[in-house]
Amino acid sequence: MSEATLTLPTEASESVISRGELLAREAVPAALISMRNIWKTYQMGEEQVHALNGVSFDVQKGEYVAIIGPSGSGKSTLMNLVGCLDTPTRGQYWINGKLVSEMDDDELARIRNKEVGFVFQTFNLLARATALHNVELPLIYAGVSAAERHERAREALRSVELADRMMHKPNELSGGQRQRVAIARALVNHPSILLADEPTGALDTHTSHEIMNLFERLHAEGNTIILVTHEHDIAARAHRIISIRDGHIEKDERVK
Amino acid sequence: MRRGDAQRRRRGETEFIAAPLRYHVAAPPLPAPPRLRVAPLWEAFKIAAASLRANKLRTALTLIGVVVGVAAVIAVVTIIKGLDQTVASTFSSQGSTVFTLAKRPQIILSREDAIRFNKRKDVTREDAEAVMRLCSACWRTGMAANFRATAKHGDRSSDNVAVRGITLSLFEIEDINVEAGRAWTESESAAARDVCVIGADLVDNLFNGAPAESVVGQTLRIAGREFEILGVAERLGNIFGFSRDSFALIPFPTYQKFFGARDSLVVHVQVPTADQLEDAKDQVRAIMRNRRGKTFADDDDGFAVETQDVFLDLYSKATSNIYIVTIGVAAISLVVGGIVVMNIMLVSVTERTREIGIRKAVGARQKDVLVQFLIEAVTLTALGGAFGVGTGFGLAYVISLLMRFPLLMSVWSAALGVGVSSLVGIASGLWPAWKAARLDPIEALRAE
Repeated sequence: MSEATLTLPTEASESVISRGELLAREAVPAALISMRNIWKTYQMGEEQVHALNGVSFDVQKGEYVAIIGPSGSGKSTLMNLVGCLDTPTRGQYWINGKLVSEMDDDELARIRNKEVGFVFQTFNLLARATALHNVELPLIYAGVSAAERHERAREALRSVELADRMMHKPNELSGGQRQRVAIARALVNHPSILLADEPTGALDTHTSHEIMNLFERLHAEGNTIILVTHEHDIAARAHRIISIRDGHIEKDERVK
Repeated sequence: MRRGDAQRRRRGETEFIAAPLRYHVAAPPLPAPPRLRVAPLWEAFKIAAASLRANKLRTALTLIGVVVGVAAVIAVVTIIKGLDQTVASTFSSQGSTVFTLAKRPQIILSREDAIRFNKRKDVTREDAEAVMRLCSACWRTGMAANFRATAKHGDRSSDNVAVRGITLSLFEIEDINVEAGRAWTESESAAARDVCVIGADLVDNLFNGAPAESVVGQTLRIAGREFEILGVAERLGNIFGFSRDSFALIPFPTYQKFFGARDSLVVHVQVPTADQLEDAKDQVRAIMRNRRGKTFADDDDGFAVETQDVFLDLYSKATSNIYIVTIGVAAISLVVGGIVVMNIMLVSVTERTREIGIRKAVGARQKDVLVQFLIEAVTLTALGGAFGVGTGFGLAYVISLLMRFPLLMSVWSAALGVGVSSLVGIASGLWPAWKAARLDPIEALRAE
């Protein structure tokens, strides 16, 4: 297999891509995540701004990928697209064989629920709810029965070593604990990818290490992880680094 | 060759490889995603309850409009139902076999009418005797005249007593039961003796509530005349807060002897069964028009022949007006209450934008968010409705104690109160909930 060969799209590969699209209208890529010539364009007054211009890459199951880039590079836009919070202006995006780029809002919500586990810089936990309820949240929207929900949420919290903090509310937890609750929430519905956006951005160095160790363990357990960051030492812990600059992939390299 | 390739080949698929891209060509079309069911309503309700509990004061203030609206309706409906019961039991005792002949109608609604009716000829004893003699459909006939005065006994007095001079037949026609002592006799009436039968209020006021038996044989003074108490009538109780026991009955000849023909008298007529009533009324009208020398061309009788229905008509007209006014008040306060709820829900959506973003990020669909906020609005107003029902029944209870009528609490009015306020919740929650459902998850997550 030649999964690491995808580099900057050249004239030739572009035409192959479009030929591929033509020939394989009903085709489904084999990779877990597959982005093909993704454009995201915003209308700013009279002017069109291309946040992403023609991004293509694959992520295989079990990979640990860091997406890195300075602010304004388009990496947040890319993350929103990968996480199915947004749809591209142009191009195809598949998760797990499903063509996400043409889905409507409700179908995207379902993909976010089943296929994507989000971890945010600012944790984004419900302030008034307990850790347990926060972790249960995706299962509520998946229509899982209450008893099963409790059981699975407990298990997810145990796996991030928060078994003794289940009934605590976010303001009764430390930053590292909050992020672990968020990770438990991301994992509870067994998503295809774990998508972390600057997961250590709001944490001190020591706690950052703890969280990064946790990601490593989760990767070792078979989870596919995509990490968005602007810090090189955080990115360096991934196995593959995709560098974004000015809305396109500047570099895509294996580091381990 | 890998296993996956072999499987694909068996399924008749070919693999298209355009390095560095890999496609499975002619893969089966994507199965439509199964419809995700709405997160159970119970979950949405729990979320709503939690957020309402978190803002107790705001919740309470938001509810005032709805509470007032529902309470007004519940109180008025309950009170009027209680009054209906009282009115029905009061007037049904005389039934529809009785009618009266008088100079004026029992209910006069304008000053002009009052002046016009006053110009009519009095109904006299001769008129009454003509009716008794000529009306073949009339079964019992009696006469009554009355005025209001103060009754005294020693240094005690009772104000606003209806002093009625009546013929003995009125005891039967009006179903007056003498509880203690007795009514007067034919001969006592004929002799115009100074005797009376009194109502229970006079026993209370003049004899300090002594047992009715002990009052019999005592005397009281009305307009300077002394009367011996022969009997005490059965207590009738109140209607609309007015006592029906403040009366002194004296024989008709006695009344005429002392108080003269102060005013026109009233002729009471009873027929054996209700179906003869109209016949009897027609006869009485014919007799009276004849005596007044009225021609067919004259629309005005110059007297009034009426049944108790006139009271019932007036009563139902009055209560239906009260209903209309109440429904107006309730509608206004529910509309205002709905606007307040809508306003608060909009604030709530803005405050919780981030929460909505989080929920959407983990898989809440538009429908889920819409339902959550709708349920929150409905929970809010249904709560207001429930409080309104409670307040309304409480008000009705207090008023029923003051006005002494039975309290009839109906389940349907309670259900209607909560139901209508829930509808207000849906109406006022729809737009805020729609706004919340339509939020862009990325924008929402960015909100503070």
